[in-house]
Amino acid sequence: MQKQTAKFLINGKSYELVIEPNITLLELLREELGLTGTKYGCGIGQCGSCTVLVDCKPTLSCLTLAVTGQNRSILTIEGLSEGNILHPIQKAFVDHGAIQCGFCTPGMIMTAKALLDKNYLPTKEEVKVALSGNLCRCTGYVKIIDAVLAAAEMIRKGDKLE
Amino acid sequence: MLKQLKPFEYIEPRTIEETLKVLYKYGAKAKVLAGGTDLLVPMRRRELNPQYIVYIGNISVLNYIKYDQKNNLRIGALTTHQSIVDSALIRDKFGLLATACAKIGGFQIRTMGTIGGNICMAGPSQDSVPSLLVLDAKLKLMSIRGARIVPVDEFFVAPFQTVLNETELLTEIQMPTPPPKSAGCYRWLTKITKIDETLVGVAVLMTVDSNKKVCEDAKIGLCSIAPTPIRAKKAEELLRGETIKEKLMQKAAEVAAAETSPRSRAEYRRRVTMALVRRAISEVWNKLTATI
Amino acid sequence: MSRELSVVGKRLPRVDAVEKATGIANFTGDIKLPNLLVGKVLRSPYPHAKIVKIDTSKAKDLPGVETVITLQDIVPRKAFLGSYGELPIIAYGAQPHLADQYILTNKARFVGDPIAAVAATSESVAREALGLIEVQYEKLPAVYDVEEAIKPDAPKIHDHCDNNIAMHWISPLSKGDVERGFKEADCIVEETFRTTKQVHCHIEPAAAIASFDVLGRLIVWSQCQQPHPARRQLAYLLDLPVGKVRVITPFVGGSFGGRNGLNPELIAVALAKVVSRPVKVEYTKEEDFHAVNNRSAFVYTAKLGFKKDGRLTAIRIKALVNSGAYLCRTTTATSVFMGNCLEGAYRCPNKLGEANIVYTNLTPSGSCRGMGNPEAMWGIEQLVDIAAEKLGIDAVELRLKNLKEIGEPSYVGLPIESLALRDCIKLGAEKIGWSEKRVKKSKETKRRGIGVAIMTHNCGAQPILVAHSGAYIKLNEDGSINLIAHPDEAGTGMWGTSAQIAAEELGINIEDVHITYGDTDTTMFDIGSIASGKSYIFGNAVKGAAREVKRQLLERAAKMLGTSPYDLDIKDRRIYVKVAPKKAISIAEVAHDAIYDLNMEGIDIAGTCSYQGTTASPPNQAVFAEVEIDLEIGRVNILRLVIANDCGIMINPMTVEGQLEGGAAMGIGYCLYENPIISKETGKLITDSFETYKIPSVLDMPEVEIIPVEEPDPIGPYGNKGVGESASVAMAPAIANGVYDAIGVRVTELPITPEKVIAALEAKQKRKPEQSNTR
Repeated sequence: MQKQTAKFLINGKSYELVIEPNITLLELLREELGLTGTKYGCGIGQCGSCTVLVDCKPTLSCLTLAVTGQNRSILTIEGLSEGNILHPIQKAFVDHGAIQCGFCTPGMIMTAKALLDKNYLPTKEEVKVALSGNLCRCTGYVKIIDAVLAAAEMIRKGDKLE
Repeated sequence: MLKQLKPFEYIEPRTIEETLKVLYKYGAKAKVLAGGTDLLVPMRRRELNPQYIVYIGNISVLNYIKYDQKNNLRIGALTTHQSIVDSALIRDKFGLLATACAKIGGFQIRTMGTIGGNICMAGPSQDSVPSLLVLDAKLKLMSIRGARIVPVDEFFVAPFQTVLNETELLTEIQMPTPPPKSAGCYRWLTKITKIDETLVGVAVLMTVDSNKKVCEDAKIGLCSIAPTPIRAKKAEELLRGETIKEKLMQKAAEVAAAETSPRSRAEYRRRVTMALVRRAISEVWNKLTATI
Repeated sequence: MSRELSVVGKRLPRVDAVEKATGIANFTGDIKLPNLLVGKVLRSPYPHAKIVKIDTSKAKDLPGVETVITLQDIVPRKAFLGSYGELPIIAYGAQPHLADQYILTNKARFVGDPIAAVAATSESVAREALGLIEVQYEKLPAVYDVEEAIKPDAPKIHDHCDNNIAMHWISPLSKGDVERGFKEADCIVEETFRTTKQVHCHIEPAAAIASFDVLGRLIVWSQCQQPHPARRQLAYLLDLPVGKVRVITPFVGGSFGGRNGLNPELIAVALAKVVSRPVKVEYTKEEDFHAVNNRSAFVYTAKLGFKKDGRLTAIRIKALVNSGAYLCRTTTATSVFMGNCLEGAYRCPNKLGEANIVYTNLTPSGSCRGMGNPEAMWGIEQLVDIAAEKLGIDAVELRLKNLKEIGEPSYVGLPIESLALRDCIKLGAEKIGWSEKRVKKSKETKRRGIGVAIMTHNCGAQPILVAHSGAYIKLNEDGSINLIAHPDEAGTGMWGTSAQIAAEELGINIEDVHITYGDTDTTMFDIGSIASGKSYIFGNAVKGAAREVKRQLLERAAKMLGTSPYDLDIKDRRIYVKVAPKKAISIAEVAHDAIYDLNMEGIDIAGTCSYQGTTASPPNQAVFAEVEIDLEIGRVNILRLVIANDCGIMINPMTVEGQLEGGAAMGIGYCLYENPIISKETGKLITDSFETYKIPSVLDMPEVEIIPVEEPDPIGPYGNKGVGESASVAMAPAIANGVYDAIGVRVTELPITPEKVIAALEAKQKRKPEQSNTR
């Protein structure tokens, strides 16, 4: 198995890393780069805890080879807030009680980001459909849905201000 | 299961031709990687241990949705389910395919997974297939020896087995635009929860005569009720040339259910097939005969 | 409460929310240590087998393998693993001599039973090494079903008991004369109910790290819900003094009882002890399913007697409890089950409950949200509905008729301190439109119905288990406090709840509370996050510690202000004279003066409080479910849930709602979807991943309306009661009763699958062909 040098753009930062082709994007983030906000839940793409954005698309990092993420823009939960300023989705999750144990939270927020980037005026049903690949055992999802809808509104209001 | 995948050689061809050469060279030792949603799970479970992974995700010429001059729809094998859902063209003219692709997985799986991968995976419950069956889709399979076209209903051999040989690559899904007075739908029931594998999937496409009285053509595609996706041809035959009343819908549904051969939950799957086929026929017939 | 509250009762974001929303929060799997090895477990592939021979030499020779251990390499001590059984917290009847499990075994009793473990430099090497361990098994016949297991010719799973009956148990809550009770009854209903095992399905897989420091102290990073008792059990199992063990709990990705006992910790410590290097054990999700102790399954016959007017006269319960391969926590589950059957929400003069706790070749049964109570309500609450129909009394009315009052015994035998269940039922019924919707029925393919079920529970496990918590608060010179306590945060929101209590008591803001948590070296004893008791028991400890800090603070301030401490109070970080509020001094000034006192009278202002639960303040709930069933395909769709909870005064409404909504989801899963299927051929759990064992997704959740009924409890801090478990207990029977209301059939075996609905409909049709498809 050949190691290879690969270039990554993660959370706006460039990395040049020597990687083995059999490591997943999730392992790259967690083990190589210490970006442990992205979680390993089930390993088979059923729970959504490992969701990151690859070129703005919600991607299960446990089912993605790291090498295929080369030269793409990868965004993880760590790259979402700007300094101390939370992204509206993060803020809404905090304010609306959408977080309990917090293990599904990063994946949930990244999936919500992918939705709101595409559709900033989602209906409740659209929010549910978008989040259906992310499992949460704590919240019953009620407050997560509320938070995503509230974030959408925050984003819309923010856009108007600009 | 492990977090780590077994070592393999990674090959990333830049073109279709290069890919075909690689496949010719390595044959069964190689596995084609596109979206990864179906391939990496068995690899992590060590059920599948390919020596070579051939990644085609960056071959952008395989990612398209377009009409050719003869009004045939052509979908590149790398087109994701989400792209199909989002395509106004497909939603408008091939609505049942968009519906089926919207059913697949969650948002992430739809965004990562490709229609080509879904077809080649050839699990009995792949959602895109019943719609492709009734839309008369054809698959373009390429190898270094050239291309061949295989109708989708001749593609599947057994669960997870197809006529695609190890040196071939599925590159394109083609289908004609349904005739003007036709309509279709895809209905399904999941196994347990709403985000789950399909227990029974039913696609129906029908064409009506100009008086909106007689069913000129009817096609019924089913998945997850037999080792491979199937057409319920006996049931279709009952509908052709008929004015479809409730009794006939029920009869056709019963015949369709009898055409299935499910392995697990067999009795229940037949019952659901019957209900869904009848409801699908009813939905489509109502669409076709509705007076505006 | 005479004083207006400024922090308690507010919808404040949880104090760890930002860390969790930004990915900073560290879970066990996120922690790395230098020289860390990876531990993996060799598990039995057979449900029942003797290990005739085991050869680890090839595995040991593999480069990268540091050690391979088997039963020979561990201290031969048995315990109730997955519990803290032989400790002072002994459940009803679980005597120490019944301890039945080693960390590693030489006789496999379930698929997944740990046989050997490997520590290696990487996961792949460890996994390869597992494959090189040569085990010669002598396969034995296995049994999974309790009714089969008690037959004389059934395979013998443990040598110490006959017919696989670990314990025969008559509930001490049995009272009166049931025979007489049934004689007096005008209406008797009886039915057999079956419940399933339920897997916790916390999204974070089980994980632990063990490391010995240079002084020979063991440090364990653990997800366990009970770090202090865990420390004691680890010390016992390793033959170490308790003080030499330190348990640290990082953030935990959900518990629901699944982290109640030790599991990966045991493997990690056993390996670390041999290799003298830190070892991390992370289970795969499949191992979580196979090897982590889950909910007990019950088969029981319940019989109820009623007078014509609806009064209960007798309750008789006969239960077989599936303990799985080891006793674990099944005794506790049985006592909770029986308590709630016999002495739950309803008053009844005559009752008798007996249970056989039975070994089978399944994963051992541990704790799972409400342990025993959802199992009990599944039957009792359906049976009450059956009786209501027979008696011609409305189902809500019949429940109201039999409710207990304050002062009567709760299911744990202590007098009930607060009770608002009557209001819960009435408010819930009104909200869902009970009286209209029970009457109006459609004849469409899709039928709608509504169902009700109620429940009661406990705040803390007293007096069955020790319910003792300590809290320590110290004041910093800037007027903020360190709350050093409460060793685990698995999502329940207890950090925030305790911070709100401390802030309220001290007249400070929630931002002034800094929590130091999760370390048995620094925190006082705490029984853990169990039995819905955290806010009630630990909350009182926090309140007590804060009160002590306040006393010292006022004393010091009184000197500075030249007045008596009794004349002072605190609000908004200021200590003021009650009769002249403008005369005031800030907490920070007093705190600073106390520490940096140039008059050489400096002190640390700090307080501790130990609180032991001795009372019963049951949280109660009424659930109303509106359901829709497609007659053709038999699938149950929940349209709407109304949940009225007798939760006491809420410290944080958002936290309470979150528990209730999450509990609803778990109850829906238990009722409709979660179906552990065991292969009869291999004894293996087939549904061992999220692909096949389905928990509710966001699309499966109906509209949930929460009605908090805030009747202050006299004992709970600020009138609070714990709700964590109550949330999911009555969900399944409410749905089942709704299904009956809609289509007139009853499913008595969990879960309610479409096939069972169809079968019940067909059976009904056969009985009454003339009434097909109607009620």
